[in-house]
Amino acid sequence: MDFMTALEIGASGLSAERTHLNIISMNLANVNTTRTPEGGPYRRKSVVFQATPLDSPFTKAMRSELEREVKGVKVSGVVTDQRPLRRVYDPGHPDADGQGYVSLPDINVVEEMANMMTALRTYEANAATISSAKTMFNKALELGR
Amino acid sequence: MKSLFGSHIHLQGKVLDMRLERQNVVAGNLANIKTPGYKARSLEFEDDLQRALGLDARGKMTRTSPDHMPAEFDARKFSADFIKDLKPRVVQGEDAVDLDKEMTTMAKNTLLYNTLITTLQKNFEGLKTVITEGGK
Repeated sequence: MDFMTALEIGASGLSAERTHLNIISMNLANVNTTRTPEGGPYRRKSVVFQATPLDSPFTKAMRSELEREVKGVKVSGVVTDQRPLRRVYDPGHPDADGQGYVSLPDINVVEEMANMMTALRTYEANAATISSAKTMFNKALELGR
Repeated sequence: MKSLFGSHIHLQGKVLDMRLERQNVVAGNLANIKTPGYKARSLEFEDDLQRALGLDARGKMTRTSPDHMPAEFDARKFSADFIKDLKPRVVQGEDAVDLDKEMTTMAKNTLLYNTLITTLQKNFEGLKTVITEGGK
């Protein structure tokens, strides 16, 4: 039952959304990438979110069930999208195959932009929870004046 | 309880605690807005609190017999109901948290929290006035 819980949850949301945004910009930057360190064209990446408890096991055991149920969020992993590659006829490309086709990542710019807006709005919502908690905190401090 | 602080001050403290907890619950929901399979949670205490206070929404006593004495509210014995929404709303297989609802809950909660703090402040100011004026 403290203020820091609200701030920690907000912070976990902010950091998860920032990771999401990084992954989206990576996808957008690599729209036409045909060479990667792993070999072959770039594969679209996406993030997996997971609800996560905020406390260490000890504080967890000491707290009430209600407080244990309130969870933050984290990015549990970055997964590679298995959608098939886009094949474009471009015989002049250095990575073109025998028939003159180049394999490019199947990244839909509109889809990525939509995801980016979602990440942005979620980030804003989390920032709003933090500023809300801060308002409450400051108001409670006024009691001591 | 006849003392420097009226019993309402314990009630106000309890409600502030509840509102803070609700802020935490809403923050948790908003952080997990894109977590697959996450179910929105909410914290309800108003109705139970009214009942514990022996009042209904119109502020009237609800004693079942005139012989009953109105019991004094004990802030330590009161706790909120924690509700897990068991039917997540599925939109494109991911979001179970209603953003509009959560943001409104949060705004309402913060406003009521701040109002309660202001009434508490006024209460203390009143006490101070009585003390300083009485000492003259």
